Amino acid sequence: MRCLTSTIVHHNITREMDKPDFELKGKRNRPVSVNSASGLKTEMSEVREVGIRVNELSKVNSIWERWETLASSHENREAVVHWVAGEEPIRWTYGDLVSAAKSIASKLKKCGVKRGQVCAIIIRHNPFFYPVYMGIAACGALPAVLAYPNPRLHPDKFRQGLEGMSKRSGLDWILTERELVGMINPLVQTAKSTIRGFYFPLEWPEVEAPSNKDIQLEASFVRSDPFLLQHSSGTTGLQKPVLLSNGAVLEHIVNYAKAIDLTLSDKIVSWLPLYHDMGLIAAFHLPLAFGIPTIQIDPFEWVLAPQLLLEAITQEKATLTWLPNFAYNMLADKLSEDKLEGIRLDSLRLLINCSEPIRHSSHQKFVDRYVSYGLNPLALSSCYAMAETTFAVTQNPPNREIPHLVVNREKLASGHVVEAKPYESSRICVSSGILIDGCQIRIVDKNRIDVTHGVVGEIAIQSISMFDGYRNYPQKTAEVFDNGWFYSGDLGFCHEGNYYIIGRQKDIIIVAGKNIYPEDIEDMIGSLIGIIPGRVVAFGEDDETLGTEVISVVAETNAKDDREKQLITNQIKLACISIDVNIANVYLVPPRWLIKSSAGKPSRKANLDRILAEKLQK
Amino acid sequence: MISEKLKSVILKELKLDEFDIRDDTTADQVPGWDSLSHLSIIIAIERNYGIRFKGYEILKCKNVGDLQRLIDSKFP
Repeated sequence: MRCLTSTIVHHNITREMDKPDFELKGKRNRPVSVNSASGLKTEMSEVREVGIRVNELSKVNSIWERWETLASSHENREAVVHWVAGEEPIRWTYGDLVSAAKSIASKLKKCGVKRGQVCAIIIRHNPFFYPVYMGIAACGALPAVLAYPNPRLHPDKFRQGLEGMSKRSGLDWILTERELVGMINPLVQTAKSTIRGFYFPLEWPEVEAPSNKDIQLEASFVRSDPFLLQHSSGTTGLQKPVLLSNGAVLEHIVNYAKAIDLTLSDKIVSWLPLYHDMGLIAAFHLPLAFGIPTIQIDPFEWVLAPQLLLEAITQEKATLTWLPNFAYNMLADKLSEDKLEGIRLDSLRLLINCSEPIRHSSHQKFVDRYVSYGLNPLALSSCYAMAETTFAVTQNPPNREIPHLVVNREKLASGHVVEAKPYESSRICVSSGILIDGCQIRIVDKNRIDVTHGVVGEIAIQSISMFDGYRNYPQKTAEVFDNGWFYSGDLGFCHEGNYYIIGRQKDIIIVAGKNIYPEDIEDMIGSLIGIIPGRVVAFGEDDETLGTEVISVVAETNAKDDREKQLITNQIKLACISIDVNIANVYLVPPRWLIKSSAGKPSRKANLDRILAEKLQK
Repeated sequence: MISEKLKSVILKELKLDEFDIRDDTTADQVPGWDSLSHLSIIIAIERNYGIRFKGYEILKCKNVGDLQRLIDSKFP
């Protein structure tokens, strides 16, 4: 009898975790070796097997089918290494994982989950997250991983966001932890709610691992069947539900594996949240479909102790990881030498920067810090990706230094790429790589016409792994699709086949890889006492030290004395906590200070430029 | 009880003039104390007190009170 015990792993509670009754095959305390010692013969057989694997992926109809095949052919191969700070990791083999997923699937069906329904998963870092996710897929339902609410986010705001998502995406079920019942229950009770119910799968009593004949799973998947639903990151109510088919994900795994020369010797490590495409697709679906291990670190633990990533790389000899730019700064600047004792990064062959603008200085400082710990500078790589294309569109080829261009800053701001002369104000643009198979890019102007070489424009994409549209949001889908091309809203240019991403058309702020919508901030602050309503702008300011943007706010006020202004500043910062936004800089200005756009509203860009100019003068 | 020294280190790092920090205050309640600033605060504490936090001691702190007690334990 195997069972799933209530092993809720939380980074803040004691570590006396109930050992799962579910018996995991393979040794608990040492990695399952996948490399033999026989050198070239192994290498050749691995190359052959990689080729076979890629061919297999091209033939299967669904991700679930692929997982079942791996569980059958490679039962004892390591699939997921669930990492917990200061503890022995929990190791899932493919066999155990799929078997557990089938148990979950059986339970889900008994609970009423049907094919095509959306199951939101709101669960923290937990070893049983993975079979829950896979069990949903086994039913033919769509898993949708959502972020567990940050303690700073006001419960009402979390509920509003979830309600908005429910109406937009049509959430059917919520699989979560009992602590959230107070927040979620009202959603189910609401008359127009799509949510049929919620469950706490981590608490389910013993579930017998059934034989194949006991479970009637959805046997006939086709590649066009919807597979997962992913919500774009953002603040309340503005999330877009990206629907991906089995075919889109499978095609992407084939093409992206080729782009990064993925082999059976690879081992992926990640602290990235699984509600984000980089974490979910690159660090979870890619390895699990390809048949290599993924080491999963708790994002909450990582931000408090970034050395966890380096320890996992050292101990597991991990070869690939993906990071947003700010993480390079954090790892380079915030870890003292004593925390790096024993760290070796020799095994790492690709460290891929993605999900926010890449800063050359961040890479430089990371290399400077870690080359003496065995880091190969050529391991630093980059890609450009988004949920709408499943993940990557471009990738810097392995073992190639990432190209960069030093361009005239002012000319770039006006949309032209011109190499900077030594005495000119410059910006270093870092390449996000070349196209991966199955993707095409055009750089277009506001009228969606191709620009000439050396001009910045919006990036339009065609991809064999394109999403099936924003679920239940045809209007938004129509806005971004035109004649087979997806218009990303990102700005960039192409130079010698390399793509450089330099910003966004819209004013979205990207802080530590997370999209923040300035409208949410402005609405919140505009309602505060002491602020003139409608006279607030929020924008991102580049922070070279942190390697990311920080949020700044300019607000008009009638307040004159410093004490009153300080109180207003504190009030602004506190108010924004409730929408899980940290304001780094508050600029209080007198009435009529803000520059308006031609539409009569305060212009974010113009006011950002004004603030920066005033700072330079001081 | 939170010492004035610890309170001062935290406020200075977060560029706050004043904020009521108590035993049961958690990071999410303090303006500016997020994932990007957390390590800076910890480093500032280590520097100001001349101490080093070992392993994952910090992960066990649920609030500022726990952090104060952890600091105090470094001075037997």
